[in-house]
Amino acid sequence: MNRRRKTLGYGIGGFLFLFAMLYLFPYVWMTSMSFKPDAEIFSGKVFPEHPTLEQYQRLFQGYHFKDITLTIPYALYYKNTIIVTVISMALVLFFDAMAAYGFAKFNFRGKTILFWLMIGTMLLPVYTTLIPSFWLFSILKWINTYRALILPGVVDAYGIFLLKQYMETIPNELLDAAKVDGAGAFQRFWKIVVPLSRPAIATLAIFRFLFIWNDYLWPLVIIRDDTMYTLTLGIANMQLRQGMVVWGSQMAASVLATLPVLILVFVMQKQFLRGLTAGAFKA
Amino acid sequence: MTLEEAVPKQKEIREPNTHWYRLKEKLAPYPFIAPFFVAFLVFQLLPIAFSIYLSFAEWNGMGAIEFSGLKNFSVMFQDSKFWNALKITFYITAFCTIVGTAGATLLAVLLEKVEDWLASILRVFFFLPSVTSVVVIGYIWKQLYSSDYGFFNTLLMRLGLPSQQWLTDPKLALPALLVMLIWAGLGWDSLIITAGLRSIPDDLYDAGKVDGTNGWTEFWHITLPLLQPTLLFVLVTGVIFLWGIFAQPLILTGGGPLRHTQTIAMYLYDVGFRYHKFGYASAIAMVLSLIMFISSYLNFRFVRSEAEY
Repeated sequence: MNRRRKTLGYGIGGFLFLFAMLYLFPYVWMTSMSFKPDAEIFSGKVFPEHPTLEQYQRLFQGYHFKDITLTIPYALYYKNTIIVTVISMALVLFFDAMAAYGFAKFNFRGKTILFWLMIGTMLLPVYTTLIPSFWLFSILKWINTYRALILPGVVDAYGIFLLKQYMETIPNELLDAAKVDGAGAFQRFWKIVVPLSRPAIATLAIFRFLFIWNDYLWPLVIIRDDTMYTLTLGIANMQLRQGMVVWGSQMAASVLATLPVLILVFVMQKQFLRGLTAGAFKA
Repeated sequence: MTLEEAVPKQKEIREPNTHWYRLKEKLAPYPFIAPFFVAFLVFQLLPIAFSIYLSFAEWNGMGAIEFSGLKNFSVMFQDSKFWNALKITFYITAFCTIVGTAGATLLAVLLEKVEDWLASILRVFFFLPSVTSVVVIGYIWKQLYSSDYGFFNTLLMRLGLPSQQWLTDPKLALPALLVMLIWAGLGWDSLIITAGLRSIPDDLYDAGKVDGTNGWTEFWHITLPLLQPTLLFVLVTGVIFLWGIFAQPLILTGGGPLRHTQTIAMYLYDVGFRYHKFGYASAIAMVLSLIMFISSYLNFRFVRSEAEY
């Protein structure tokens, strides 16, 4: 019986492995297209015959076509995305942790109402705030700014919820003891609650990183100037330049944009998968 | 300083201090909540309130906002493009939640039977699309489906079959989109279902074995009923996600051919940001929110009542 189970396990394992190879094919395609010279882009072959870095070079040095040069400010897209992601993550993690601490460890007037209001808006689609937010940023003249890309993302009810659940497990005695020793509310937060909540904060950091790095809808609405494009907008707008289909460079751009994310997932695999499932069930 | 001198002094300081200290502790939570609350008010509550108001008004984004009562909604009910988008989004949601959840459950159950080291590698593989930008996914699939030089058509030609206009044939565009969406969502769903499977206690399976279950009856009578809460979670989150789907069809087909893949969110975006009918777009956003709310509620009721048997 046990032996039969094991053989069955190997069989299923082999089958799933083959399936996974097939499943990953779009990634193989992406990578291989990014190494094909122009002449082979439409060859229909899966792997390049004469692999080249030309498509990657074009992202940074521009497109030479007859006597014109088209520049793709890819480095700029990358810079914009990094700036927005880093600032946004720092802000959102700090504000989330602060608010979660407020909700988890204090009682104050209107706490319940505010909490349910927060949960309620979490369920509403982003489209309910899209038009008014766009309007707000256009009267503030913040269209095409980092501020506009960063600020709306700072409201993160889901993150507060996740951290609040975690912080509630920190024993109150610990905080009371610190209070007796003369630690103020902020000191208790910074010296005790934050360090103890590190696993939950790390999980949230990964979530936010993925969300901000890959976001498309909000930048699409708020950014018009191509020097302010993020990676997703940049890749989407590479589609056609002066009638040239830029398949190869577009895939090169995609590879470079996806790489940090894939590295993150592989490196933080355990933390990530555990946090993901834990978070899912508390929600 | 002697001890006698020090003690009364300390007492003196302490008296006014307690009052101040109490006040400080009472006010302590507010600085923590305030930044969130301000941002929440400015970027969430006020926009929502404004959006509700706009849905009863006409506005081109520049001039005055004119209150128009229920006009936007009555226009909507006669707008064939709206109904078309609603129908398309419903198809996408129904197909992807049912087929996607079933596929993900199968994958998760099979992965549990594989040796741990292999299963953990495979899980990461299947999870990759969930962390890849939808823009990247959209363009890869667009190339695969491309009519002249795409991978699928090359494959068909090698096999001696006629090539297909995957993304421009009205009959094929929606199925092409569905395949991409199922592909992209499989790993995420199966991961959450895996967590659900792990929470089922082993002794239930052992007891089942005593009663002589085989793989199939075990799945049907033990795994599936106990997996209900997890499946509910996957269904509800899936429904919310799919009703609001926007970027994936926008990039793959642009909504075409002839609106055959235009979702409500895409139509809303078009009405608002292309035609500048912000009032009408807000009304569509209201209906979309309501639909999402009702479908998650129905899902909840349906799966709950099933679970009682």
